Amino acid sequence: MSSPAIKTSSADKSPLVLESVVKRFGGVTAVAGVSLVVAPGEVVGVIGPNGSGKSTLFSLAAGGLPVDEGRIWLDGVDVTGQPTWRIARSGIGRTFQIPSLFDNMSVRENLLAAAVEGDWKGAPVRAEEVAEMLQITHVINNLASELSGGQQKLLEFGRVCMRDPKVILLDEVTAGVHPNIRRIILEVIRRLRQTGITFLIIEHDMEMVREICDRLIVMNMGEVVAEGSFDDIASNVEVQQAYLGRQS
Amino acid sequence: MASNPGQVRGNLFRLAAIAVGLLALGVVPAFIDPYSLRIVTGALMWAGLACAWNIVGGYAGYISFGHSAFFGIGAYTTAILMQAGIGMPFLATLLPSVVIAMIVAAIIGGPTMRLRGAYFAIATWAFAEMLMQLATILDITGGTGGLSLPAYLNEFFFYYTMLAAAAASFLGVWYLIEYTRFGFRLKALRDHEPAAEAMGIRTNLVKVQAFALSAAITALFGSVFAYWTTYIDPMSVMGPEITDQMVVMVLLGGLGTIWGPALGAVVLWITNRYIWSTFGDTVVYLPVLGLIIAMVVLFLPNGLISLIVGRRRGRELISRILRKF
Repeated sequence: MSSPAIKTSSADKSPLVLESVVKRFGGVTAVAGVSLVVAPGEVVGVIGPNGSGKSTLFSLAAGGLPVDEGRIWLDGVDVTGQPTWRIARSGIGRTFQIPSLFDNMSVRENLLAAAVEGDWKGAPVRAEEVAEMLQITHVINNLASELSGGQQKLLEFGRVCMRDPKVILLDEVTAGVHPNIRRIILEVIRRLRQTGITFLIIEHDMEMVREICDRLIVMNMGEVVAEGSFDDIASNVEVQQAYLGRQS
Repeated sequence: MASNPGQVRGNLFRLAAIAVGLLALGVVPAFIDPYSLRIVTGALMWAGLACAWNIVGGYAGYISFGHSAFFGIGAYTTAILMQAGIGMPFLATLLPSVVIAMIVAAIIGGPTMRLRGAYFAIATWAFAEMLMQLATILDITGGTGGLSLPAYLNEFFFYYTMLAAAAASFLGVWYLIEYTRFGFRLKALRDHEPAAEAMGIRTNLVKVQAFALSAAITALFGSVFAYWTTYIDPMSVMGPEITDQMVVMVLLGGLGTIWGPALGAVVLWITNRYIWSTFGDTVVYLPVLGLIIAMVVLFLPNGLISLIVGRRRGRELISRILRKF
């Protein structure tokens, strides 16, 4: 199923709009004309088998990779081709599949570093609040490299929270973490979405997807093969074949 | 950004220690002979130079082999402006020296700081070589014959000038790195450049700013050095050993630390002077320099400063920067 083209313009104030986005690496098309509109406060899950183009799609949306074709709009502003830092300042925050912390800085400094392009004066207080929200206050003076895998995921999420973005992209934020940390992350997502923040979440944990996502898109071979609620997706034959690898 | 009581106490202690240290350095000339005073003056200069190189090498994570060019720019700017035809007073030449070095660094840093690891190191080395060769053929620099400056034989003046420049450099860099947005941007891009960009940090601009700041401090010491020695030529102020020594001093003292470069500079400069006074020239010094580099990387990755204050991340920090090669 190829994605329908989206008629959009700078007047469209959806927090995030992807219009027929294409990305190729040599002869491989990693993202093949994906279109997506995300509403304010919506939590959209992106699922699909490994290599289906989910993380590449995130990198395109956040500016980490240039798009080959298509357009990307943030809050009605066309940010296609903009450098990563400018897109980030436009209100998008992301985590990486492998936590990308500032290893030689403490947890507090990591949080403060996330505020350098924002409210710098209020950053120390905000860092304390975010650390408390994510329950990492007890390690706030530790080096980031000394944290456990789960704590590193929390810190990376915390760094995104420090910036108060309009759209947050979470790439497998609960992969391999303790259930307690998973619970903390879920609570924070719920709390933030109530403030109008939009989430796009790549996740393999179907329980989490069921709990938190309003809508799912399923990717396979760089294309969106299905879109809808969790129940719709779970009963979709094409998804079962492509993603779950079984015949109905 | 000192936001908790522990940090505030730590900073007050550091400020008190700095005040005592500056006071002690202030009375040093009263207790030592003129020869020793020259050695201490040299140690202050090298400490300042190591501090300057550390901004790019230790905090931005980019290994520059071109800093001798900025030292030379400072030295030649002062020398040229003090020549008979122009006759500017020494202090008035400092600002042009620093500004010219910053402009050149911004021009060179713009394209080269987009390069990674060894490519950046080679580009900066080539730039320094090019500038040194230029200095050997231009009339304004005196060619290979060099330039003489008006002699001012007052060792106390140069000691206190070097002390003021070194203290201003270290305190300025300390403040910038630990307490300002610039310092956090710089450390963030060193540790993970894509993540820094994803947080809105314009990394290419920050790298060029760091390069320009580093060049400015280096040029400042080049200016003072030229007036101090009263004679300069391309090799004496643009030779590659100048950069090599900065690199080793920082590695020896502690890469990416505030006070490590000062410690490394003092230890290495005293070693240099000891070898010079014992063997009569500094040729023996070069293999010693190489040996120190190997020993530090293998056995003391945190630098000498770790023996005093303890750093947990030296090995990883060196690895992170070397991985860019």
